[in-house]
Amino acid sequence: MDMTKVKLQAIDVNKTFGGGKDKVIAIENLSFDVKENEFTVLVGPTGCGKSTFLYMVAGFEKPTSGKILLDGHLIQKPGPDRGFVFQEFVLYPWRTVLGNITFGLEITGVPKEKARERAMRFVEMVGLDGFENAYPHTLSGGMKQRVGIARALAYDPEVLLMDEPFGSLDAQTRKVMQGELIRIWEEMKKTVIFVTHSVIEATYLADKIVVMTARPGRVKGIIDVDLPRPRDYTGREYLRIRKEVLGLLEEEVMKSLRTLPESK
Amino acid sequence: MEKKTKEKLVKSFYFLFPFLSVAVALELLIDFGVISTKFIPSPSVMAKTLFELATHKPPPPTLFDHVFGSLYRLILGYGLGVLIGISIGILLGMNKVLHRSFSPILSLFISIPTVAWVPLLLLTPLSGDETIVIAVFLGSFFPIVYNTMNGIRGVGKELIWASQIMGAGNTAVFFDVLLPGSLISIITGLRLAIGYSWRALVGAELIAQAWISEGAGYLIFGAMFGGHPEVIFAGLVIIALGGFLLDRLIMDPLERKTIEKWGMVKER
Repeated sequence: MDMTKVKLQAIDVNKTFGGGKDKVIAIENLSFDVKENEFTVLVGPTGCGKSTFLYMVAGFEKPTSGKILLDGHLIQKPGPDRGFVFQEFVLYPWRTVLGNITFGLEITGVPKEKARERAMRFVEMVGLDGFENAYPHTLSGGMKQRVGIARALAYDPEVLLMDEPFGSLDAQTRKVMQGELIRIWEEMKKTVIFVTHSVIEATYLADKIVVMTARPGRVKGIIDVDLPRPRDYTGREYLRIRKEVLGLLEEEVMKSLRTLPESK
Repeated sequence: MEKKTKEKLVKSFYFLFPFLSVAVALELLIDFGVISTKFIPSPSVMAKTLFELATHKPPPPTLFDHVFGSLYRLILGYGLGVLIGISIGILLGMNKVLHRSFSPILSLFISIPTVAWVPLLLLTPLSGDETIVIAVFLGSFFPIVYNTMNGIRGVGKELIWASQIMGAGNTAVFFDVLLPGSLISIITGLRLAIGYSWRALVGAELIAQAWISEGAGYLIFGAMFGGHPEVIFAGLVIIALGGFLLDRLIMDPLERKTIEKWGMVKER
């Protein structure tokens, strides 16, 4: 796997909300690189700005200062070179499973039959065959997020952004989904940026873990996870890395607990 | 299939039961002389009157003239309310400046009972028919504007983002996200508006009866002067039935085919 080319660069990214007395510095001088096809996981305490950072990569929000470059180009607005998976799924209730997945293809003008064909491949890939004509409200949380992942991949983006995608699933479903995500990622070869606050999840998924500080969010440390997949949750090396990440994170969690009353 | 018919029969029984029991009780009370028929006709007389109005050929306007006269005004006024109301609601929902400047006025106007406009309209050179159509329009316009506006504003920004990152431009965001996303609220507006319009219609016909020559309100008003409570009651039955049928025949299927199917409201 070619992992040498830098796909995405965050350079001195700052993000503040509000002004005057209500000014909140969410992210401060955040810099790191993401390589092509790399699975990068951002972990940090609640409110550290990791989701905000992902929103800026998506183009939903803009940095107050600093730059985020994708293939060397400044990200200015949302676009189909990226795919986004939301924590709360954000499916279109008026579209069927298939309709949700073909949406991105329809927008880019792919003919209906072709879009359907392609979407069906993704329906199968995420294991939802037989449910393609169901409406989202009839699905379980895990199934909804499968749709969310298929929808974000169907139009073949280069970077997949995932904002705590398994955060609202139960523990068992979550584990299954982690395994499936890795299977899909190995098949599709995408650059992934995944946000979570679960260290277990981060260590299971990541090529590289970026640990963020409590607000204002900065890079606390970067840990490479050079373990073969599928990973063993009880392996010695896995546990060692997990402990290392946890050590970095715990200090920040304590800090964020002390500063919580000031935050909104 | 058989089970379904049975279910339907049971349902209609529950629906008709209160009417039948009140009718029987009223009939008995009148027969035994407890209630005078001076103000309330007995149900049998009421039924007879309705039947006569519908089947005989009295000098025009006939019952059908009254019903169709009213219906025509309703369709015109409500149709205008839907078209203009949804359009302006979308504008107010999408433009922050317009929303901030117009929504207080909207709340002010929405609290004016529609029939209160009628005397003012009658002072103008407008005909009675036009006045009533405008009253119906006003009755439907405000709830539709208000609910459409809120519906558009209530579409979550994440739903919009999700489409934008897939490459949606403004047109796609509007037709594929904002419009279907606000449909639940738009339908609420349409449903409220149909009730308001029906009320505005009959109210306006009552006030403007000297300017018109048929309609459900006109029928009632005329019967008051003629001293015919049975005709008044016949008119009330028509009005109630009209409002009920409009809701069932138009709004129910619309809801079933859209927001209920999408799970955006709980099925009733």
